[in-house]
Amino acid sequence: MEILMSILAGTLFAAGVYLILQKQLLKIVLGTALLSHGAHLFILTMGKLNRGKPPILIEGVKNYTDPLPQALILTSIVISFGVTSFLLVLAYRTYQSNKTDMMDQLRGTDDE
Amino acid sequence: MLHIYILLPFLAALLIGLAAKKVDRIHTGWFVLPVPAVLFILFISKLPILAEGKIVQSIANWIPSLDIQLSFYLDGLSMLFSLLITGIGSLVVLYSIFYLSKKEQLVHFYVYLLLFMGSMLGVVLSDNVFVLYTFWEFTSISSFLLIGFWFYRERSTYGAQKSMLVTVFGGLAMLGALILLSITAETNSIREMIANRSDIMESDLFIPILLLLLIGAFTKSAQFPFHSWLPDAMEAPTPVSAYLHSATMVKAGIYLVARFSLIFSGTDVFFIIVSGVGLITLCLGSILASRQTDLKGILAYSTISQLGMIMTMLGFGTGIATLAAIFHIFNHATFKGSLFMIAGIVDHETGTRDIRRLGGLYTFMPISATLAFFGAFSMAGIPLPIFNGFLSKEMFFDSSLKLEQTSGFAGTFAEWIPLLAVIGSIFTFVYSMYLVFGTFTGKAKLDQLEKKPHEAPIGMLISPIILIGFVVLIGLLPNLINESILAPAVVSVTGDYAQIHLKFWHGLNGPLYMSLIVVAIGTILALTLKRWQPIYNRVPGKFSTDRIYQSIVNGLLSFSSKFTKFYMTGSLRLYTSIILVFLVLATSIFIYVTDGFKIAFDDLAPVTWPEVLVGFVMAVAAIATIWMTQRIAAIIVIGVVGYGLSLLFVFFRAPDLALTQLIVETITVALFLLCFAHLPKLKKSDKKPSEKLVDFVIAASTGALLTIVAISAHSSKFFESISKYFVDNSYKLGGGDNIVNVILVDFRGLDTLFEIAVLGLAALGIYAMIKYRDKGDMNP
Amino acid sequence: MMSNIVFLPIFIPLFFGALLVFFNKKQKITVNLSFLVVLLSFGVSIYLSYHVFSNGPLILETGGWKAPYGIILVADKLSVIMILAVNVIAFTAAIFAISSVTEKMVEHYFYPLFFLLIAGVSGAFLTGDLFNLFVFFEVLLMASYGLIIIGGSKHQFRESVKYILLNLFSSILFVTTVAFLYSVTGTVNMAQLGERVAQVEQQGILTGIGILLFIVFATKGALFPLYFWLPKSYIVPSPIVSALFGALLTKVGVYSMLRVFTLIFSHKLELTHTFFIWVATITMIIGVIGALSTSNVKLIIAYNIMPAIGFMLLGIGTFSEESLAGTIYYLIHDMAIKAALFFIAGLLVWHAGTSNLKKMGGYIKTAPIMGWMFFIASLILAGIPPFSGFIGKYLLLRGAMDEGHYVAAGIGLLSSLLILFSVIRIFIGAFWGELKEEPKQPVRTSGLAASAVLIAISILLGVGAEWFYPYVQAAADSLIDPQIYIDYVLKE
Repeated sequence: MEILMSILAGTLFAAGVYLILQKQLLKIVLGTALLSHGAHLFILTMGKLNRGKPPILIEGVKNYTDPLPQALILTSIVISFGVTSFLLVLAYRTYQSNKTDMMDQLRGTDDE
Repeated sequence: MLHIYILLPFLAALLIGLAAKKVDRIHTGWFVLPVPAVLFILFISKLPILAEGKIVQSIANWIPSLDIQLSFYLDGLSMLFSLLITGIGSLVVLYSIFYLSKKEQLVHFYVYLLLFMGSMLGVVLSDNVFVLYTFWEFTSISSFLLIGFWFYRERSTYGAQKSMLVTVFGGLAMLGALILLSITAETNSIREMIANRSDIMESDLFIPILLLLLIGAFTKSAQFPFHSWLPDAMEAPTPVSAYLHSATMVKAGIYLVARFSLIFSGTDVFFIIVSGVGLITLCLGSILASRQTDLKGILAYSTISQLGMIMTMLGFGTGIATLAAIFHIFNHATFKGSLFMIAGIVDHETGTRDIRRLGGLYTFMPISATLAFFGAFSMAGIPLPIFNGFLSKEMFFDSSLKLEQTSGFAGTFAEWIPLLAVIGSIFTFVYSMYLVFGTFTGKAKLDQLEKKPHEAPIGMLISPIILIGFVVLIGLLPNLINESILAPAVVSVTGDYAQIHLKFWHGLNGPLYMSLIVVAIGTILALTLKRWQPIYNRVPGKFSTDRIYQSIVNGLLSFSSKFTKFYMTGSLRLYTSIILVFLVLATSIFIYVTDGFKIAFDDLAPVTWPEVLVGFVMAVAAIATIWMTQRIAAIIVIGVVGYGLSLLFVFFRAPDLALTQLIVETITVALFLLCFAHLPKLKKSDKKPSEKLVDFVIAASTGALLTIVAISAHSSKFFESISKYFVDNSYKLGGGDNIVNVILVDFRGLDTLFEIAVLGLAALGIYAMIKYRDKGDMNP
Repeated sequence: MMSNIVFLPIFIPLFFGALLVFFNKKQKITVNLSFLVVLLSFGVSIYLSYHVFSNGPLILETGGWKAPYGIILVADKLSVIMILAVNVIAFTAAIFAISSVTEKMVEHYFYPLFFLLIAGVSGAFLTGDLFNLFVFFEVLLMASYGLIIIGGSKHQFRESVKYILLNLFSSILFVTTVAFLYSVTGTVNMAQLGERVAQVEQQGILTGIGILLFIVFATKGALFPLYFWLPKSYIVPSPIVSALFGALLTKVGVYSMLRVFTLIFSHKLELTHTFFIWVATITMIIGVIGALSTSNVKLIIAYNIMPAIGFMLLGIGTFSEESLAGTIYYLIHDMAIKAALFFIAGLLVWHAGTSNLKKMGGYIKTAPIMGWMFFIASLILAGIPPFSGFIGKYLLLRGAMDEGHYVAAGIGLLSSLLILFSVIRIFIGAFWGELKEEPKQPVRTSGLAASAVLIAISILLGVGAEWFYPYVQAAADSLIDPQIYIDYVLKE
């Protein structure tokens, strides 16, 4: 299962990377969302999947899934949420002020 | 003691920088003059100590942890240079008082000059190589500032930049050599290096060290092919040219070679390179000097050529050659210093230094003219016992005939040296005559001058008179300085003392014949100069080192510009692609080399269909985003991936994650919807198929790489996770059933605190962006 | 509890940064308060350094959970040196801010963002936990995202998009790599990572994971070929922001490399660290070529960040006591001088009304103090002795030559020359020559004062090297033997 999940996460990464290589700002932002998903899936997979109960203590249960990756993912989800929101608004403002959302028209020169 | 000597100019610079503007009635130079004068007397007072074969030294702490210590010593070689620095320094300051008007930025001028004086003393007195290097760079910097003294002139700034680039280049090469020397000899002290010279000579790095050190020396002393900065340095005020660019700073390279002679001299490499470069410089400099039209230009090339001659003799390394070199260092300072001062006087009194507009000045300025004739005849080596230049030049010829190298390439080379020496000297004779006769004899062209020429004020004449006085005095009584100054210096360079009596008449021997040939052919060439001078124009300019320098600098700038613009296109796609390619290549090469890939099937969760199904849908959705052109559709497929992920979290027993992911995904989708409404529609990619292929390869390989690392990492669980502690202690110590929650708020509470900070910052940024939109550029 | 003081360099800016959010309309209060805060924080960092150098490292177990289970903050010698340097920069930035931070910028939350940036950077220097390092990276990056767009010009938006995207990618890579490392070692505590990686002799995939981590830090630290986001994004914001970025952000990357590749991944030196030397060498050349490629004054300074980072990585790659000390020395030096140069470049651009060198000239007449300060700063930058740049460069070159890395050392020497060329061009072009155009505005005094403080520090770091070097050497010695750190953190 972990191998399959690694492949899935890798696929999400690949799709995300493909999108951030595109010209349109919007696609790039979508790509970063996919990248975060891929990363979170990687983290989860790096704990052992499905070994034991959810990490909520119950009398008599000894085996729980690894709680640490879950905690790390939670932190990471919240952080990526913050960054993605910021990026979205920035994308909008960039489009508004530069009148384009195509990255190849957002190059700039030395003389500014 | 020596510390105070070196410190004195720096202190004076500080004082003058702070105070001298207050007293504007008196020329600042008068406050400066006592500094070199007192130092000169102090150094003279040490002569008896050196005469006993002792040295003066003093040590103080600077950076003992790095063994960079302020240790100074005064031996014969240092003494010679110290006397030149302070002696010529005094005369130059005196001269400058009359040369520079009070309207100039005198404080700047003298501060730079004093900085130079202190640094140059530091160079010749340092025992610690890195202290030497420090002062060395400071001489370059003060020279830069002095050349750029008239900073509003383009020629000045060009010359300043050039001199700095060339000399700092050499300085850095020298630093490389010094570090290697220090590593090889395991000491930073020059004297200890000399004591450990066998370590250096046996080292594999011997030749690299020598070459790097010589680059330092050659750049500073304007040796071929680094000489071209010196003519451009003539943009400095004439006192500076007389001081830095003929008598002292340019001899720092000579000093360096002499100082390290005990380590390197005697090897064929040293002989061939030092004498070879010296001879090329001697000939090239003297040949090019006759081409110049600017008086200072002639003198600059002449200096280059004379330095080449001294370098050649140091390359010989024999006792007589070394004595001749040391002697000539002294003589050159006297006659060249005075000639520069006369050139300055001519410039000052006529308003031009262009020899084509000058002539016949003898009648207007007889004293200056007489001095100039003495200086030039000494430089030309006219065989009369009143010219010190003849004595050292004759010794040069003598030593060129007595070379010890007989075998191999060095032997062949040695055979040709007398011829080259004569050729160089012939042209030296030619430009010396060209200089003085062109300026002072012939018909005066008063109509071409800005002002009517007249003799310079006596104050300006004192310094050149003193220098010419030395020319004659030493010419007549060379042994006056032999015992006290020259001989100890020779000892410092060669290690042993050779008693050589200096005299004018040696009988009819080889050197005298060589001198006579020089005078004979020189006279013919000088008389016919006008006729053959046009030959110079036949030589294509692109072969000049000045052009080479310019093309290097301009080439560097334009290459940099082109190269950087080539990849710094501002294209995010290019940047990302390069980063990803580097990521994939570097990591996969390392994984391959370290045999890092590993796949183990023994410790895996069983494959269950719901997860696989969800995963498959997610993968399809993720790939599908690539082709989405409808905004809504794009949001839906992205949503599928996000919600699918929360479903996976449910399957993989991460309820908190599932919940959070659900909420975050919902808000994100809402945000996307909100933003999409304001952004233009998704467009179909207009990329070429080849570009798409590149994108695909990069994307696929990045995904594949991370998958491989993930599988390998999962297959190499070498240790038990620290998570067990959380499971065991969550309730006992953390007081919660939900282990993930306990980790977040307790075990790793710091993460959570700052995760909130990130959210807060994002909110702040978003708020600011939205609130202040439409207000445009607000940069102050 | 003595060890609580370790949290203060993070907490003070965090707390006051949050507080100042509510004062964004009251410029006076904010400016005055910010001074108090930087002074307070500076005082704390001096005390902390004193304590650590006299009594040994301090460890704060946050929440009372001992390592490796809880997050710990470790104030060892290297960390406190970095904290001290950060606070010097913060102090001078506060001085510079007096005349350069406008009411609008205050309204745009300049001060909260500034303090959060300091908090994030300080946290990164102090944390002993790799995942927590990621979190602090995010704090400082998020603050930098906020800072870079203050002003709201279209260039800023344009360049910040690229800046954020590339940093976002490296952040995602960072968190993924931490997970990989966790899978292999079962921990995220840096000391325990060091211990466990050493136990298995960095076998298997560990070196690959190390390289991924290197790429993450190299992207933050702007190494070849990962630095594309840097030059232009550093010149679009207000000069004070450029200075903060130039002085602090890339240095966090270098610090992280210094920490991770001495403490954790130091068992395959012949592979990884040789690779670093190559990357360092190429970074030096490419960076300096960039610095020569343009006439934009700010851009010249921005490109000069790269050769400096190259020098620092050279020291990590050489991996000797001497060279690591060189890296640390160079790091401190570069923080001070880059901030100073960005400050002066900002002042110059305001004075001239353009950033194009070709349109400048003769300003030594209208702004002599600024001109000479720039000149001295140029010499310091190029590593001319006896200033701070020389000490670091000397140690790095000597270290490299001692280990036989002659090519890298040679390139280092050559790039020093070109660094000097790139900045002396500014001096000659902007300050010498005829006055082409009347200056647009006078030089701002507080800006000069801030630059003067930094230049004075740089001179002191060089001339008074003996007062500082032993501490740096002590910090380097403790890096070369990671067991000291490990034992200290994981003591039973």
